[in-house]
Amino acid sequence: MVQAVEISNYSWKYINTQSPALKDISLTIEEGTFVGVVGPNGSGKTTLALSMDGLIPGQYHGIKQGEVRVFGKEVEEYSGGELQQIVGVVFSDPESQFTAMTVEDEIVFGMENLGLAIPEIRERLDWVVDLTELGDMLDKPPYELSGGQKQRVALAAVLAMTPRIMILDEPTSMLDPISRKRIFEVLEKLRREQSNTIIVIEHSLENLVPLTDRMILLHDGHILLEDEPHAFFKQTEFLLEKNVFPPEATQLFYRLSVDGRYEGQLPLTLESATSLLEGLVKK
Amino acid sequence: MNKTMLGYVPTESPIYAIHPLVKLLFLLVVSLFPMFITPPELNFLLMAVIIILMWASRVSMRTLRIYIPMVISMGSIIIISYTVLGGVHPEFDLIVNVLGVRIYWERIRDALVVYFRILPMIFTMVFFLSTSRERDLIVAMRSVRIPFVITYVFAMALRAAGMVLEDFQIVRQAERARGFDPAGKSLLYKIRTYVMYMIPLFALSLRRSEEFTNALVARGYAFTGQVSKAARADFILTHYQFTALDAVLTGLIAIAFVLLLIFRYSSGIFSLEASVFIPWLHDILLG
Amino acid sequence: MADKHPYIQVVDLVYHYPDGTEALRGIDLTISGSEFIAFIGQNGSGKTTLSKCLNGLFKPTRGDVIVDSLNTRNTSIEQMVRRVGYVFQNPDHQLFNNNCWDEIAYGPRNIQLSEGEVKERVEDAAKVVGLPEDYFSEHPFFLPKGLRQRVAIASILALRPSVIIVDEPTTGQDAKQSLEIMDFLLSLNKGLGHTIIIITHDMPIVAHYARRIVAMGQGQIVVDGPTAEVFSQADKLAQTFIEPPQITQLAQNSAHLGFNPGTLTVDEMLTQYEGLIATKQ
Repeated sequence: MVQAVEISNYSWKYINTQSPALKDISLTIEEGTFVGVVGPNGSGKTTLALSMDGLIPGQYHGIKQGEVRVFGKEVEEYSGGELQQIVGVVFSDPESQFTAMTVEDEIVFGMENLGLAIPEIRERLDWVVDLTELGDMLDKPPYELSGGQKQRVALAAVLAMTPRIMILDEPTSMLDPISRKRIFEVLEKLRREQSNTIIVIEHSLENLVPLTDRMILLHDGHILLEDEPHAFFKQTEFLLEKNVFPPEATQLFYRLSVDGRYEGQLPLTLESATSLLEGLVKK
Repeated sequence: MNKTMLGYVPTESPIYAIHPLVKLLFLLVVSLFPMFITPPELNFLLMAVIIILMWASRVSMRTLRIYIPMVISMGSIIIISYTVLGGVHPEFDLIVNVLGVRIYWERIRDALVVYFRILPMIFTMVFFLSTSRERDLIVAMRSVRIPFVITYVFAMALRAAGMVLEDFQIVRQAERARGFDPAGKSLLYKIRTYVMYMIPLFALSLRRSEEFTNALVARGYAFTGQVSKAARADFILTHYQFTALDAVLTGLIAIAFVLLLIFRYSSGIFSLEASVFIPWLHDILLG
Repeated sequence: MADKHPYIQVVDLVYHYPDGTEALRGIDLTISGSEFIAFIGQNGSGKTTLSKCLNGLFKPTRGDVIVDSLNTRNTSIEQMVRRVGYVFQNPDHQLFNNNCWDEIAYGPRNIQLSEGEVKERVEDAAKVVGLPEDYFSEHPFFLPKGLRQRVAIASILALRPSVIIVDEPTTGQDAKQSLEIMDFLLSLNKGLGHTIIIITHDMPIVAHYARRIVAMGQGQIVVDGPTAEVFSQADKLAQTFIEPPQITQLAQNSAHLGFNPGTLTVDEMLTQYEGLIATKQ
């Protein structure tokens, strides 16, 4: 079966750095899964995101080794713009992604680039606006929007191109907690209703982890850990060593299990932690 | 209240019923009118008409006050360059000789003609910018099928300009937060500081441009052209209908321009000789 | 520097932006020496505006801001920056010299210190932020983000203000970098006696480092008090769309079991759990 993303022995070194940003990594991502990528700054997460969209090596100078395949085809073999129809990327800076003068123009831009006709554009616009709740902001210019609203627009603009793979590189790092939640709510809706493959790079784990099917730890250009979330967080000690902090509730139960107070799966959400704690104390 | 490029216009304004292309046409054509009208009093009348149009469009008249200093200083510069820097011309009529500076009638006359030509041009531009949003410019250009690349570069320039302005405010505050106080310092000092502002603005733009480019490419747009061969749909135009009113207005503007040209070159109505104001002033200054 | 005299006093502060929007609607606030305060609140609540009133960047529309007995309305910028420093969120907004040395020296030079004093302050500030001397002649633009932020902080430190406001110290940083910067700010507070005010959205960081929280909503102070106390008032915080850190929420959900609704860290939670288990036996 063709995988959504298949990376084999891939290394990438930017032309102006000493050591490669990604060092001989291999990774397979199944279609339809929700993947979380974590790791310290400088570990190669953004490089990985750019590699899966063909922006590396397309827009950057450097040395590539190994292969990056999206739906079976090497990223370099896709003709101009073809890969961008399959893979959508949302970046972390809401400002620099907003290229048009109104919200509607921004969302419609990608669709126009795809050569879609007006009726289809209208239909997708309505769908995406509904999903991201941007209905009353369509003719607002960027300077009237908050960072969180701009990021939702970025998400809508990419979604409107209906990519099979969505990559989000720290989409909420510049947002306040409420805006952050709203972005993840959209992602959750997506996960439920659509069959996209979604890859999210994040530092803020407590919103991300409940949605994921797989977690990947990147560190200094290597993939150090890759597993489904419960197994992933069993390695909390290792994660802490590598400066990745699981959600606080998960950390609590990890410590409890280390102390022998708790046996069982580590909770990944506040809700499950609450009921587990209740159960523990009442015993 | 909707924000336009130079201010705010209430939503009830009649200006919104007009297609952006007509607004742009008005700007481009009417700002040419003064080139064909010589008598200062007629150009002054034209300026008054523009200002009345602004008032009718519900533009806040208070914003016009911002332009008063500029209008005055510009007038002063023109008068000075035409008189003080006018040189010695024995063939002209001398009005007065002040400390070696010869003030000639012809120079004053020419200065007035130029000044009153520029004024309506400026106010036509102000009218346009006060009643149009950035989007209107883009719609106007796309309506006449200007190549997409050009309109897009233009739109990006607008966006970039907006971002730079926002950054500029923050950079100014950051400088003040480190004790930089331009109050009461020399002009040279202030000029030097504006140069210094360039550095962080430049650095910020550089850093952003990488993400900006990536975002563009990720949306399927590369500067070599579009992704697919199909004709590009212009979704933005679906919001703007070119109505009968727009057609009528376009017609009026065109007719006015044609009439202007006809009268200018056939009869002498808009020439200098037809002016009433100029001879009157001549008599006053030269007795 | 542990005196209890209010160093900053804000009395009924009202601030309108030039276009008329009301950003602050009557703020009363007292700040004494050596506090570690977090300003939190949704976007647009006024936390940044309030901070800029504290250092004189914005002058009150009504009301007063008194810093070290000086009223910000009629105090010069030079006098203000010696007392309240403001580190902007993005260091790129303030780096405009050719090398780090001049960058850090920029502030002291602006306030007309002698070249000898400037030298002392620069070297001092660089040492405190841990900037190695080899970087003095480097252009700030080419430094990695973490170092750029340190240079930005050093440039404010060189002015030796008693109060330092830091806008979003941990945004875009990973866990380790966040802890490093916060530990550093804590050392400035505990070791050198500066009052630190952080403007942030990062609730776990607030829980671990801030001793006092000022939560703002719609131009007013919604709640002001010690960290644990403020976080335990979840309903008030909800007004300004703030949620306490996850561990605090867990404690609050489990309050009926005996957990303290003002729990701030995983360690505290564990200790309480041990305590609860022990009493059951």
